[in-house]
Amino acid sequence: MIAAPILTLRDAARHYPSGDTLVRALDGVSFNIYPGELVGILGPSGSGKSTLLLIAGLLEPPSAGEVHIRGKCVSHPGMDLDQMRHFRRNNIGFVFQKANLIPFLTAVENVALALHIDDVPARAARSYAAHLLASLDLAHRVDSIPSRLSGGEQQRVAVARALATDPGLILADEPTAALDSVRGRQVIGLFRQIADERKAGVLVVTHDPRTLDLFDRTIEMNDGRIVG
Amino acid sequence: MNLALKDIRHNAVRFLLTVTGVAFLITASIGMVGLYRGIVSDALLIIEEVGADLWVVQGGRAGPFSESSAISAELDRRVEGVAGVASARRFVQVSQQFDHGGRQLRAALVGVDYPEDAGQWTHLIQGRPLASGHFEAIADEAVGLSLGDRIRLGQEDYTIVGLTRGMVDMSGDGLLLVSVNDALAIAQRRTSEEVLLARSAGGRAPAAPSGGSSVRQDSKIAAVLVTLDPAADPEAVRRTILRWGDANVLSKAEQAGLLLDQRLWRLRVQILAFTAVLLLVMTIVISLIIYMLTMEKVHEIALLKLMGARNTLIIGMIAQQSFLIGAAALGLGLVLAQGIFPHFPRKVAIDPGDIAMLGGAVALVCGFASLIGISRAMKVRAQEVLS
Ligand SMILES: Nc1ncnc2c1ncn2[C@@H]1O[C@H](COP(=O)(O)OP(=O)(O)OP(=O)(O)O)[C@@H](O)[C@H]1O
Ligand SMILES: [Mg+2]
Repeated sequence: MIAAPILTLRDAARHYPSGDTLVRALDGVSFNIYPGELVGILGPSGSGKSTLLLIAGLLEPPSAGEVHIRGKCVSHPGMDLDQMRHFRRNNIGFVFQKANLIPFLTAVENVALALHIDDVPARAARSYAAHLLASLDLAHRVDSIPSRLSGGEQQRVAVARALATDPGLILADEPTAALDSVRGRQVIGLFRQIADERKAGVLVVTHDPRTLDLFDRTIEMNDGRIVG
Repeated sequence: MNLALKDIRHNAVRFLLTVTGVAFLITASIGMVGLYRGIVSDALLIIEEVGADLWVVQGGRAGPFSESSAISAELDRRVEGVAGVASARRFVQVSQQFDHGGRQLRAALVGVDYPEDAGQWTHLIQGRPLASGHFEAIADEAVGLSLGDRIRLGQEDYTIVGLTRGMVDMSGDGLLLVSVNDALAIAQRRTSEEVLLARSAGGRAPAAPSGGSSVRQDSKIAAVLVTLDPAADPEAVRRTILRWGDANVLSKAEQAGLLLDQRLWRLRVQILAFTAVLLLVMTIVISLIIYMLTMEKVHEIALLKLMGARNTLIIGMIAQQSFLIGAAALGLGLVLAQGIFPHFPRKVAIDPGDIAMLGGAVALVCGFASLIGISRAMKVRAQEVLS
């Protein structure tokens, strides 16, 4: 890769005090993610994968080390990350195991909400959201509320929402865990497409070995460290 | 995109139930205040309508509404002689209970000085004012009589010649208007037991005068209503009458003040306290609801923060829901009040000024409730999306 990395972690650590001991959820992790790259994070339960995403997503500051996005240091120990909301809105898209859609908004409104938050005028937001949903094969579902959607459909709406503000970095924590293997592969395929077409860096925590062929590379974690 | 409205539409039934509950509290508040306003306006009715500039009452007394007043029967003639007095009318009011067709009816019997006063000032909706000094009566519809009814009061039968609407005394009894002389005759009729009791007391109590013209000892005339010449100085007239020593003079404003500040002040404090309690309950209820709605949306709020929403978006959503509940409840409460209270036995006066004040109070309550919800929402962290 010739381009500058979209995301860089430098010796990032995250420690949680637990009684008298210290849980080293993340214990000095460094890596780069480049634009257009789809990277998988693997590892046993409790190895620190979700913690890694929290740190990279500017939801928690690291106990030590730094997070750089587009070459700029955006998170370091003791930082108040509530100030980074605006930055998050424009630079990072999140997808989780649960779709986390807002139950009282329709599919298209859930996606448009991300644009609304970014001060895009209502009509433009709605039409772009509908366009995004259509590109994810959800044109027929735009006006359904989440409870009327299948798990896979909900997850695709969540992906559309993460894409709405065209962020350079997409972080996904086990986005396929609640889906069957066909649907799961579809979602990872979607991320592949996003990385290729939008040149976004996509970091996906996954347990599913059957989708690994779609990734550019994988990061293995164990006990809060990268092991391969 | 208005999140508050979308959420309300999604949970419409719950919103409507909440609004209905709060609306009933508001209706109750409107009723409390309206009941007080109704009592005040009923109490002031005669004072306002009878058209007297001054009330001459028993010396040292503040009658006839705040305490009893009895003046000598010829006082009106003396008052009439005072310079500046255009007319003087005798006035008497007593509560009366009587039987009509097997029903026990209550009325506030008012004696007016026919023919100077034939009851033209009452709000007649049917019939006519008094046309004779005897055995005719004007009744308010609240008494429960109709035009042409004949009722027995004292020893005589009276014919209802006129019907009024909304003419009641402080306790809500409809007025029954007769001439002063008739009123005195009715008021002084004693039951046979009373006569026996009086005899056994050694005959100290004077016997009831027969016929009802001369009433010296136990006069039932309560006041003389004075109308002044347009050019007269009320103070001069007052000073002249006070100098006699046996009479007190009250202006219209003083009569009204006595009623409101002396007779009704406890009621006023009570009703204010009751309204305060209702507002407190409303505060607790709305705060609890808003807090619950916020708690229920913690996940969505965390998501909004994760997506980078400004606090104003979240605050707006909570505050708008709070104020929408308040505004809808105020509207519904008002509609309910207007539908329900006309069927209440006593007048409930809905005053626009009171409604405006209540609206202000509801706005304060909603503002407070929003703060409770907002302070909870501000504590939500974006990471909570994951929990
Ligand atoms: N807020 C916290 N307080 C204390 N300990 C924590 C906290 N969050 C995570 N941990 C601990 O840090 C370690 C790593 O947790 P993490 O959630 O990152 O694992 P994970 O790899 O995502 O596991 P899984 O595959 O089960 O999701 C675990 O031992 C966990 O108990
Ligand atoms: Mg995890």
